[in-house]
Amino acid sequence: MKKFYSNKLAIFFFTLPALLVFSVMVFYPITQVFVKSFYDWNGLGSGTFIGFENYVKLFKDTVFKLSNKNALIFSLFITIFQITLATVFSLVVSDKRTKGRNILRVSYFIPVVLSVTVVCQLWLAILNSDSGLLNQLFKAVGLDYQQNWLSDRNHAIYVIAFVNAWQWMGYQFALMMAGIKAIPNDYYEAAKIDGASSFMAHRKVTIPLLKETYKICLTISLTGGVKAFTEMFIMTKGGPGNATHTLTYLMYKAAFREFRYGYGMASASILVLQCIAIILIINWLFRDKEKKEGK
Amino acid sequence: MKRFLALGLSLVLTMSLLVGCSNKTEETTTAETTETTTETTTETTTDSAETEEALPEGVLSLEEATLRIYAQYSDDDTKVPYDYAVEQLAIAYPNVKLELEVQAQDDGQKLMTYAATGNLPDIFQVALAQIENFKESGNIMALNDVAKSTGFEDKVFESAKNILYNEDGNIYAFPYAGNEYVVWYYNKAIFEQYGVAVPTTYDELLAAAETFKANDIVPMAIFGAEGWITAAMYDVLATRWDAGGIAKLDDGKGTADEEAYVKAAEMMHTLVNAGLFQESATTSNYDQASAMFLNGEAAMFLNGQWFMTDATATLGENVDWMYYPSYDAASYEAGKAVWSGGGAAAGYAVNPNSEHATLAAEVAAFISEKYCEAKVMYRGTPLVALDVDAEPETEFPAMMEKLQSILPEITSITKFDWHLTNGTFKTTLEDQTKYMLVKDYTAEEFITELGNSLAQ
Amino acid sequence: MSNRKKISFGKAVFALFCWFYAAISIYPVIWLLFYSFKNNSEIFVTNPFGIPTTLHVENYAKAWSQYNVPMYFLNSLIVSVATVVLTIAFALLFSYATSRMRFKGRFIMTIYLSLGMFIPVQAILIPVAKTVNSLGLDTTRWGLILVYTAINLSFATLVYYGSLKGLPVELEEAACIDGANIVTCFLKIIVPLVKPATATLVIYIFLNAWNEFILANVLVVKDELKTLPLGILFLQGAFTTDWGAMGATMVIASLPTILLYVIFSKKVEDAMTIGGAVKG
Repeated sequence: MKKFYSNKLAIFFFTLPALLVFSVMVFYPITQVFVKSFYDWNGLGSGTFIGFENYVKLFKDTVFKLSNKNALIFSLFITIFQITLATVFSLVVSDKRTKGRNILRVSYFIPVVLSVTVVCQLWLAILNSDSGLLNQLFKAVGLDYQQNWLSDRNHAIYVIAFVNAWQWMGYQFALMMAGIKAIPNDYYEAAKIDGASSFMAHRKVTIPLLKETYKICLTISLTGGVKAFTEMFIMTKGGPGNATHTLTYLMYKAAFREFRYGYGMASASILVLQCIAIILIINWLFRDKEKKEGK
Repeated sequence: MKRFLALGLSLVLTMSLLVGCSNKTEETTTAETTETTTETTTETTTDSAETEEALPEGVLSLEEATLRIYAQYSDDDTKVPYDYAVEQLAIAYPNVKLELEVQAQDDGQKLMTYAATGNLPDIFQVALAQIENFKESGNIMALNDVAKSTGFEDKVFESAKNILYNEDGNIYAFPYAGNEYVVWYYNKAIFEQYGVAVPTTYDELLAAAETFKANDIVPMAIFGAEGWITAAMYDVLATRWDAGGIAKLDDGKGTADEEAYVKAAEMMHTLVNAGLFQESATTSNYDQASAMFLNGEAAMFLNGQWFMTDATATLGENVDWMYYPSYDAASYEAGKAVWSGGGAAAGYAVNPNSEHATLAAEVAAFISEKYCEAKVMYRGTPLVALDVDAEPETEFPAMMEKLQSILPEITSITKFDWHLTNGTFKTTLEDQTKYMLVKDYTAEEFITELGNSLAQ
Repeated sequence: MSNRKKISFGKAVFALFCWFYAAISIYPVIWLLFYSFKNNSEIFVTNPFGIPTTLHVENYAKAWSQYNVPMYFLNSLIVSVATVVLTIAFALLFSYATSRMRFKGRFIMTIYLSLGMFIPVQAILIPVAKTVNSLGLDTTRWGLILVYTAINLSFATLVYYGSLKGLPVELEEAACIDGANIVTCFLKIIVPLVKPATATLVIYIFLNAWNEFILANVLVVKDELKTLPLGILFLQGAFTTDWGAMGATMVIASLPTILLYVIFSKKVEDAMTIGGAVKG
């Protein structure tokens, strides 16, 4: 077996295509991001090397701090929202006794199929302070809870995180469905013979077996939160003011609107480093148990 | 076996589709064009050899080329002038073909990438900030000679010379828009209905807002999703205290903590908290806010003077503009000559590395001139860069006549947000003035952030 | 008794919640359809949520006349399908190697490839465009396809890695003892086993490529290679936008994918089940 898995030729040919395409099209550009973060550069021409000056400025920038705080809020919010709902819904839909499970399954995934633009326009309309559905609903019910959902400097970030979480929950749901489907039936049968209730069966069998799926989901939502951009860009333009800025937004603004490309790249570099840290932590958290299972 | 065959077949098919569509079409089209071009060149060379001095009536050049042009082309304000220019180009430059690529609303990402990859179109529309950026990297052509040879320079209005020359004295773009103005529109019918007089001071403005609000009318609609209009609002206020407005800060001649800017920020804060703007102001886009005004749901509206045509088309007699209100009667009167708005040396630029750079420059000048004509003839605005010999198709709106009549009295204008040259100040100003639309955002915070951006 | 009642009441509330959430998830489709038949004033002021009062069919006519819809559609289809095929193939091969085979640096390799997930495309826009340009791919479809593939690889390898890690090694060991070589083992055992993951990935990658705007805007330099999301360029102005026509282009772009998904979701489900059956 060991011989089988250390076939050098196979390793080479199996990894080559992915590595090649990735290195040329993504990794090389990423190295450029890091290189240019040390330059005073407007995006064109050659620029001048200024060492860590961009980073020094960045760490002093109040928007940088705010962006990090927003990233944290955003990541945690979407992670909790998506993983909880995706778990619940995937268990419900995969339960053969649930009525209309096909309809439910298709529905939960629909927001993923739509483009971000459509979803953002929809929520912009729903959350509009004057004519929005949500405020009208509160009005109709007689509740005095009308809000400026997207222009509250302290809470707008949560609202935007919600829109993102809502749209992409369907994808985590699909991943979990795939994970559940891949669990061999005999595991359940064994649990059933033991007389476990369905809730217990899930807790003891399904969820532990979905560990790899959870790892993926966690990686997606945490890193997705850190680099969030599109929703802010369409719905609030990072606003009100800079209340919903993220590192990506900061980068975009610096590079394309202020022509401070080098500064923007410093922000992007920090972003990449943060994401690497996150993935290492996730790997570390999930590693111990993996070893136990393997042997 | 069958499956393999099917798989192989489909693979081959997709491959050929992929390759075929990209390369083959290219080949055939280029083949076609070269064929036709060779034909026409032989013709034109003999032609021009014979009739060197006497080009047919209205023809400026028989030189022949296909030029790539990157321009805005999405609404009447951009399509009408472009289509007109292309029509006229066919007469003056019968052998020049334009290949239009529609400009994306992407903060210049595409243009920047084009410049970075050496793929710039022959002719492209640029904003002032981009010119500064392109200048340093040799991506924009100095058009001084062509501006002379085509007579473009002479046609520019004396009052609009400021929008022809860059700070360094060169011409980098052929402008078509003249000096433009931020106009404070109001709905006369609504004002009359509720017995409100046109406000001249902020106190009157606040009182008017109260009346409108009590009657479920939004006092003033603003498209706060766009930074330029909130910046313009702030500029309107700031110019009441200091005629320099945001332009003075942009030029580095003032600081954010000067009295004028602090007072203006405080006033904006007061107005916002008095409910001058609609609740959804921060997320309203242009179409939302203008619909409010045009539907008669909002009594006032801030926009450029180019909105006059559309406003008159919908509201007819009921729409008019007022002088900006001020902090007291004296400054109101004095402020009648001080406006927010302006122009900048931006417009159609040319790629210096273009194969047909000189021709492209001539064509760019030609197109800009035709834009001016089209804007006068079909878009109801005489505020263009060039003194063109064109009569409006229909009369200018009454509001425009009124504005035109007072133009000589205007002594000072500032800048539109998109004409600011300090990129960091510009984006901060946009974000921060938008932030001012939030009720609990204070003037102190605003001034601090603005100051920081100027210190960069 | 009362306990049981409590449980069934709780169950009813829970079921209601599940269905309510499903309804909110479908609502955007209906909303978008309505939207595409309205004019600006109806969309923003008079009637943002209801059924359009007059059907502005001209929105579709306008969207259709602005750009070559069938051509853009075909381009999107080719680019998306090619991206899916390449990404799936490359990612599965790679993940199989890193999750099963023994060699130095496989952990580093997986981290390396996952970098693509972390970088916002705007940051690499210009270097990517330069690369594509210098490889001479800027006037072909390959530019877009290869960049999309590279970006989606990160995510796809992550999913495949996870799903391979979750599979018991015993199945392959049995085949290995039978004397199968690694390629046969891969095709006969692994490919069917990861079908559930493949099914979800295919959908996800396809949608990513289908809806992508930022890279397409910058990388496609020829009109005849443009993809559907770029259609909105023709309707979005510096100041004003024709939102109804925008809605129509969005319907033109999304409706086929929604229909395809609804029709084929059963097939996707089956694909997942077969994966389970092989194992059992």
